[in-house]
Amino acid sequence: MSQSSKNISTVAPDLRSRIGNVEFKNPVLVASGTFGYGAEAKDYCDIEQLGGIVTKSVSWKPRVGNHPHRIVETPSGMLNSIGLANVGVHTFVKEKLPYLAKFDTKIIANIAASSMEEYRDVLELIEQNAVENLAGYEINVSCPNVKDGGLSFGTSVERTEELTALLRQSTDRLLIIKLTPNVTSVAPFAQACERAGADAISLINTVVGMAVDIYNREPRLSTVTGGVSGPAVKPIALAKVYDARKASAIPIIGIGGIITAEDAVEFLIVGSSVIQVGTANFVHPDAGVRVAKGLEEFLRAQGIAHVTELVNSLKVRAELKAAGW
Amino acid sequence: MTPEDSQMLSRVTRRREIAPGLVTLRFLNPKVAHTTVAGQFVNVLPKVGFLDPMLRRPFSVYNIDGDEAEIIIQAHGRGTNILTETREGDMLDVLGPLGNPWNTASGDFKTAVLLIGGVGVASMQLLTRTLVSSDVPVQTFYGARSKTLFALDGLTNLHLSTDDGSEGFHGSNIALLRSQLEEGSIASPKLFVCGPTGMMRAAKALAAEFKIPCELSLETEMACGIGICQGCPVVTDDETFNTTGKRFRLVCMEGPSFAAERIVI
Repeated sequence: MSQSSKNISTVAPDLRSRIGNVEFKNPVLVASGTFGYGAEAKDYCDIEQLGGIVTKSVSWKPRVGNHPHRIVETPSGMLNSIGLANVGVHTFVKEKLPYLAKFDTKIIANIAASSMEEYRDVLELIEQNAVENLAGYEINVSCPNVKDGGLSFGTSVERTEELTALLRQSTDRLLIIKLTPNVTSVAPFAQACERAGADAISLINTVVGMAVDIYNREPRLSTVTGGVSGPAVKPIALAKVYDARKASAIPIIGIGGIITAEDAVEFLIVGSSVIQVGTANFVHPDAGVRVAKGLEEFLRAQGIAHVTELVNSLKVRAELKAAGW
Repeated sequence: MTPEDSQMLSRVTRRREIAPGLVTLRFLNPKVAHTTVAGQFVNVLPKVGFLDPMLRRPFSVYNIDGDEAEIIIQAHGRGTNILTETREGDMLDVLGPLGNPWNTASGDFKTAVLLIGGVGVASMQLLTRTLVSSDVPVQTFYGARSKTLFALDGLTNLHLSTDDGSEGFHGSNIALLRSQLEEGSIASPKLFVCGPTGMMRAAKALAAEFKIPCELSLETEMACGIGICQGCPVVTDDETFNTTGKRFRLVCMEGPSFAAERIVI
């Protein structure tokens, strides 16, 4: 299956992708906060054609989220400040997980919290109520829109490492740490996650930004600043993935402005094992399926037998690498 | 992603320019045409394949006829400017129908009073049709900046007002309605309101003053339109906040129309 050969366009390319001991039917997941808990998009998207679903962040208690205004459109993207509005982990395990268990795709539960203990308690409650297709956890240490949220972890290498090590003790499923781009370099964070036993890192979460109403001179978001997402952040995301890839061998889940299959291919080449489609779901609820289908067409057209051949295949000249690029 | 992949693409069959910057687009979409109930909306891309602007824009369904539906667009920003330049034969990417209908069956009124400001007329033609077909008396108070900006198709029992005095009552439709409420000439009214925020706020106060039911159709910043992004809430001001702590309601899933006394505007 993994053998590459040209001119095999009559054979369906193999899109199966792997992180740790989990196999995804294709490398296209939908990002946390852009696909609800699955049910919201089911009328618009064939969920079973996705590699997986990363669910909306859950915390121990439900959160109502931030005061409006929560979103603003910006050039080739948007700003959001939702504030982790979520149903809470108890409703999640009682109602949302059993619903998601019906679908033939992998589920990754995203967790947001404001203390080490809360992260652990939420994870353990989900673990106790796990369903068969629950592949693992994505730990949100990077939400820029709550004052008491995980970003205090996500901007400290030491706390990221400590949290990862703690959570590692509570599950054998995939443990994925979702990193923020709002640091000088993601490299030490990637290394810390690898040292502490994470199975993968996912990046990027949103880039801090703002927008101003020039007529009444007020910020356009209720929290003044928010997180930028969409095609506008794709070049930033690719550079962060590249930075993490050079610094660490930990598997990477690439996120940031992926709209088309070609965008996804860029992330795979730079070093992502799988990718997540995020903001695009707000425009086309079936955006992930469109990317997965486009990826298959791309592989076929390029005579690539297995999608994993793309992963980490970036060609950078030796002298550039030697110079630190 | 090619446009052909989408099942939401709808060919524009007619474009009408009602006034400068005010355009109706009629498009072929049997699903929207056959299932929309007055008050529901569609979420429409400014231009197929564009990444900037990239988000859909919500529009009330203005009219339906056979397999075709129609929206009315006022150019007031980048997305709506692009949309008003759509030509006949172009494709629109339309998601819908979304949201909930006007509550015409609340049983607490005899006369439906449609209070319209500007392009707030968007859902009123279908609402009028629904009410008239149920033999509910309708009175329509429609205000615009100037006489050229009215879209009068399918409305009934009109009381027009303009800011510049070029047509009907010179002043606000709120003032015009107030005078009629004071006379007591409208039997057991309920207000169905859509217009600028200031007008809706005044309508809510007017309804509270005269103790009459009032429903507001709201527009907020919105991305997905289907309850995923959580970007479009309004602030609630009703008993559910005290009992459930639920502070916000999504306009896309629980609206776009709300009983006026339940929300903060």
